[in-house]
Amino acid sequence: MTLQPNVLLSRRGFLAGACCAAAAPILTPVTFAAMPGDNRFVTIVLRGAMDGLDLVQPYGDPAFAALRPKLGLTPQTGLLDLDGFFGLNPAASALMPLWQAGELSFVHAVSTPYRDQRSHFDGQDMLETGGSDKAERTGWLNRALSAIPRSDARKAIDINTSMELILSGPSDVDSWSTQSNFALAEDEIAFLDRLYEGDDAFARAMQEAKKTDMSADALYGDAKRGAGIAEMARLAGGMLREDYRIASFSINGWDTHVGQKAQFKKAAGDLSTAITTLKASLGDEAWGKTVVLAITEFGRTARENGTNGTDHGTGGLAVLAGGAISGGKVLGQWPGLGDDHLLDRRDLMPTGDVREIAAAMLYRQFGIDPDNLTGKVFPGLAFDRSSIYLKG
Amino acid sequence: MNPSIPTLAAIRFGYGLRPGEELPADADALLAQIEEGVAERPRFPREGLTGRIETATRVLSVRAAEAKAAKAGNPNADLRKETQRQAQRIYRQDAMGRIAQAIHSPLGFYERLATFWVDHFSTSVLKSLPMRMIVPLYEAQSIRPNIGGSFSGLLQAAILHPAMLIYLDQNQSVGPDSVAGRKNSRGLNENLGRELLELHTLGAGSGYTQDDVRAAALILTGLSVDNRALEVVYRPRLAEAGPVSLLGRSYEDDEGDGQDHILMLEDLAANPKTALHVSRKLARHFIADDPPEEVVSSMVDAWTKSQGNLTEVYRAMLTHPRAWSDPGQKIKQPFEFLVSGFRAFDLPEKNFAELLRDMEGEDEGPVEKAMEMAGVRAKENAKRKAGRANALTFGALQRMGQPVWQPPSPAGFADEAGVWLSPSQLSERITWSRMVARILGQKMEPSEFLAAALGDAARPETQRIVSQAPNKVHGITMVLASPEFNRR
Repeated sequence: MTLQPNVLLSRRGFLAGACCAAAAPILTPVTFAAMPGDNRFVTIVLRGAMDGLDLVQPYGDPAFAALRPKLGLTPQTGLLDLDGFFGLNPAASALMPLWQAGELSFVHAVSTPYRDQRSHFDGQDMLETGGSDKAERTGWLNRALSAIPRSDARKAIDINTSMELILSGPSDVDSWSTQSNFALAEDEIAFLDRLYEGDDAFARAMQEAKKTDMSADALYGDAKRGAGIAEMARLAGGMLREDYRIASFSINGWDTHVGQKAQFKKAAGDLSTAITTLKASLGDEAWGKTVVLAITEFGRTARENGTNGTDHGTGGLAVLAGGAISGGKVLGQWPGLGDDHLLDRRDLMPTGDVREIAAAMLYRQFGIDPDNLTGKVFPGLAFDRSSIYLKG
Repeated sequence: MNPSIPTLAAIRFGYGLRPGEELPADADALLAQIEEGVAERPRFPREGLTGRIETATRVLSVRAAEAKAAKAGNPNADLRKETQRQAQRIYRQDAMGRIAQAIHSPLGFYERLATFWVDHFSTSVLKSLPMRMIVPLYEAQSIRPNIGGSFSGLLQAAILHPAMLIYLDQNQSVGPDSVAGRKNSRGLNENLGRELLELHTLGAGSGYTQDDVRAAALILTGLSVDNRALEVVYRPRLAEAGPVSLLGRSYEDDEGDGQDHILMLEDLAANPKTALHVSRKLARHFIADDPPEEVVSSMVDAWTKSQGNLTEVYRAMLTHPRAWSDPGQKIKQPFEFLVSGFRAFDLPEKNFAELLRDMEGEDEGPVEKAMEMAGVRAKENAKRKAGRANALTFGALQRMGQPVWQPPSPAGFADEAGVWLSPSQLSERITWSRMVARILGQKMEPSEFLAAALGDAARPETQRIVSQAPNKVHGITMVLASPEFNRR
């Protein structure tokens, strides 16, 4: 077994950021890379498998209402209509002004090549490595750095060890952290509850901890969590406004097996906060040259499950935002939700490769050669200048 | 389903599993650690024993000189502050050394014993400024070398150290009927006499009286500390004129030779109540809040037969089958939790040492230069790093309620399982687990980490839940926050 810290720490040094003894430390890493040019690119990894059918609901699909009796909405019940077929979950209503301004698009029914196993860890690995040899374990965004023309002069700083896989690799990248700790995401709390189920003393302590104001504040508070997300996005925006051109961070909380409505609302709120805060902190000029791409390891089952949630699926949704896109579109080839159109009669059929969206954005923002994109960055990906994602 | 003996040996009697470290096979393997540990030089005090005495006396003489000047109307606040800063820094270095010792030593049982005994004979760095420098010396000098020998030897080494005499005010105590006591109004301080009977030897509720406490305190008079040399001295002028009678024995007037306290310590060590009190406390610490009586009684038997040889007492505990039954009744104390967490990550020693450098803000490497180039202030970066390093180590222990060498009272830290499984404690442990998982576990496979951290002590349900976590960091977090990682 290889345990990373030996390698990781000796290479990077044990560097970190935090605030003070009294306050809880901080933890969420944002990774950056600086390079010449004005264009910016931000990736947000939505960990836990975002339910794309909940964020952008195909209310116009005749099968949708039956698949989602509890979770599905219509414009009459609060869904924010996008194009007469799809509508945005009202939990993300803060994003509507961007949609209206042409600064927001969605790509439906996309996935990585990862199939069948539906494991978060492997799915996220695939999402972050971009399908490269698993033994190598470098992130596609890192490999993209070395393929960006004229990027030799980029500055290199390494601030802490908590580099996420997507930006890990031979190219120098900096990692920076916000000042505040994050409250646990809803799905993470649900997992802790399960972890303590078989041990009464721990289960009791956990239940009490969630109820107790003091503990709840630090670990389980929604307000705290929202503030943490905003701070992270503000940090990213501030760095991108200066010398940095690429940033990446994660938003957790999407593993909504049980009681999805409430959980999803929080996670979608976090995503909206992250994007709107990025825009605000970048300022008009920099935002105008920015693309934000939010991606997840896979989608969720088309059908609701028996506990008002959804289980691990396949086809998912990518979110594109930024002043550099000509948005206001739901892209992708819609496969339909009829039984015969679902993958294994359960999941949204993937009709596009999420890596192709990333490749298109890298091409457009940084001029990375398509041969490099399909050879080095996303080995085996089919991509060229005629990609549909370059048209939008 | 119980873990195997080697796994339990590492978890219940050591600081947990560490990848690449051989598990102790059985009781003999654990006992063999003692001799090795006793011979080893610990990672604190940083300058070694004589080096520390030199450092500390230097700091204290500067302080004394400043105090004298201040009295004469020439205070030097900067100098005074500087001595405080130095003492605090020395403490921090040593406390990090203590954490590192527990993480990196392969002698887990010996290290756990050192922690047990330094807690049994509690002293605190918070008592006074010199204690920041003296308490680490005390553990290295008095406790660690004497863990495997006779209880009497350990007791004498612990009591007759400046740290103990300062902590329990013995250096203030004057026999009312002594040369000094007859001259001025200073009098007896019973603190050490009381704790000696109540905590260190016979045990609370074992039948001694207030008269006995006073008698013990009187017998201890004359013992004091030379603050310049940091040595225990015997000052006949302070010693109570005898004889003093304690528990049926008369300790003679010793204004001349000053040996009566040694006799008393030997007698207390040999008292059967001490054997029972200390044996039960050991069993309660290692096995269960309510330890099996047959384990305790076989320890007491071994104590009696060997005249208080501690290795024989440990052997009696470890070779008793009940010492290996019903795992998980105790909750790891915060120090154990943190140490076993770092061990599971297999953190290299030099990386742990860098945390201390971060806290001291000394690191002026290429990163700082790059930071300045990037327009981010190096100072701010150093502050952040220091905060992070602190949050991972000192800050965490503080928040969980067990800062190094700072017991809340002479009775030491609480040992009952329930104390360490409160809602706020669990929250703190989850918080620390998340933080360390984010920093060290970013690229680890949670299932591999679980196997490394717990071996065959991992429950099947934990294996399943960890493998399904919504992200890897949370998977690692749950390993550290799991009941079986927190129990022993």
